[in-house]
Amino acid sequence: MRVLIQLRPSPDVVAAVADPDVTTTTADVADRLPGVVLDPSYTPVAVPRPVPAAGGDPLSLNQALTFSLAADDASVMVRGEISDDELSTRLTLLPTLRNDVVGIYADPVIETNLTCGGDAPVGDWHDVERLVHAAELHAEGLDGSGVALAVLDTGINAAHVKHHLGRDLLLDRERSWSPDGVSGEPGEFPVNHGTMCAFDALIAAPRASLIDIPVLLSQRPGGSALDGLLSDAVAAFAHLRTVLEAQPAESRSLVITNSWGSFSPRWDFPVGHPGNYSDNPAHPFNLIISSLEQAGADVLFAAGNCGRDCKDRRCAYPDRPITGANSHPGVLSIGGVDTNGQRVGYSSQGPGRLTLRKPDVCSYTHFSGSKAFGDGEPDSGTSAACPVAAGLVAAVRTRWSSTALTPAQLRTLLRRTADDRSDIGFDYDYGYGVTDTSGILAALRRRAMRVA
Amino acid sequence: MVLVTVRLPPQATLTQAMRRLGLSEEEVDTGYGLVLIDPGQGLYGLRVSEEAARRIDPEAGGGPYADPRIEPYGPPG
Repeated sequence: MRVLIQLRPSPDVVAAVADPDVTTTTADVADRLPGVVLDPSYTPVAVPRPVPAAGGDPLSLNQALTFSLAADDASVMVRGEISDDELSTRLTLLPTLRNDVVGIYADPVIETNLTCGGDAPVGDWHDVERLVHAAELHAEGLDGSGVALAVLDTGINAAHVKHHLGRDLLLDRERSWSPDGVSGEPGEFPVNHGTMCAFDALIAAPRASLIDIPVLLSQRPGGSALDGLLSDAVAAFAHLRTVLEAQPAESRSLVITNSWGSFSPRWDFPVGHPGNYSDNPAHPFNLIISSLEQAGADVLFAAGNCGRDCKDRRCAYPDRPITGANSHPGVLSIGGVDTNGQRVGYSSQGPGRLTLRKPDVCSYTHFSGSKAFGDGEPDSGTSAACPVAAGLVAAVRTRWSSTALTPAQLRTLLRRTADDRSDIGFDYDYGYGVTDTSGILAALRRRAMRVA
Repeated sequence: MVLVTVRLPPQATLTQAMRRLGLSEEEVDTGYGLVLIDPGQGLYGLRVSEEAARRIDPEAGGGPYADPRIEPYGPPG
């Protein structure tokens, strides 16, 4: 067991440890302690003595105290390990064998607190701009110009995006599409989730042409406010095929960002039923994704907000919550990290239900950005991570059409260049790691040289 | 309602699909229409009532397939 050992060496040693200008080592403080393997890499730490006010109880911490680092008062902490099978004996004997040992304490493994829903923003969208190396992308001419970027969500409010982004945006009204019964013009929907997604996609690809597809506003029987039905997404993807096929084959580029999914098996047919969606690659929506991806579309889906640390209350799959298209082999499934590179606690972990190795990669979320949900509210969820990654993909597509670099090849490139966050490659928390623009650009330069 | 599929020639219409599947207008979500799922296979989808889906001859069409609700993944709550 790893332990912290509190010692009271001679006052001159205590003074040396407490002095920031003097370097001391574990060996200076405690050369040997019977039964303890001391950790020489740990720099001893001076521990102040709590001092009660005059007349106070010298044994109580529950009173007004001052803390003294004076050489005669303070003690010193070192770190070590005691064999588990000797622990109780050593804990008893050590203070009797060595009168400078004041106490022995557990040194448990600690973990950082993960960002959860409801937490304040971690950084802002300019941090994301820096982390995705937007300036480097744009310097290489990769800003999304000429690339169609479809946002399937609750609709976009272009004026809000423009105001908070501080620059113009390109909205492709002609190629936008709404499910039957949805009223409202492209780019003029109420500010909501889709507006956040559009904003976040434009961080890396400010010149991409946004295609507004408010599938989640569908009022089709069976749905309710701010959700839709999967059949609406089937119809949206069928529309996007016409968009893709209208482009010249040699310059095809269509990026589709999807920050939504199905939360509950109660909404689906049972697993094993031939009409099931969550686990069945033959479901019509999973088929249409396959066919569109093969035709040249980059399809990105959020991994979901069902991470074990602080899952969304709607999550109803007890395990393996990355379901259906969110875990499709032809899709890039995006997990979320904060601007410190730490997985957000709600980001769904794999394995996926259609493909085991999900999520594929992570991108940034939980930052102050679009303010779609209010001034102090972050762009959050894997909902934000997905369009951030989609913007990066759209930036790449500026000069690399899906003919020059197929969607499957681009997915491989993103996985291979990702900043691995585990010890041994892929893991179910981060996938292959956090997207790494520098790595992507280096790989593209090498590819360009080979092609030339 | 649920999703069903049907294989038809290119440029097929909803009327052709309904005829092939033996469905009436009341049983079909005509607002949804006929949606091309995979042009390579001539595979189309449409929304029909659960009762009608159960009646479809498996030789004529596929399904029924689930048409679950979908919701945004944020903000996490």
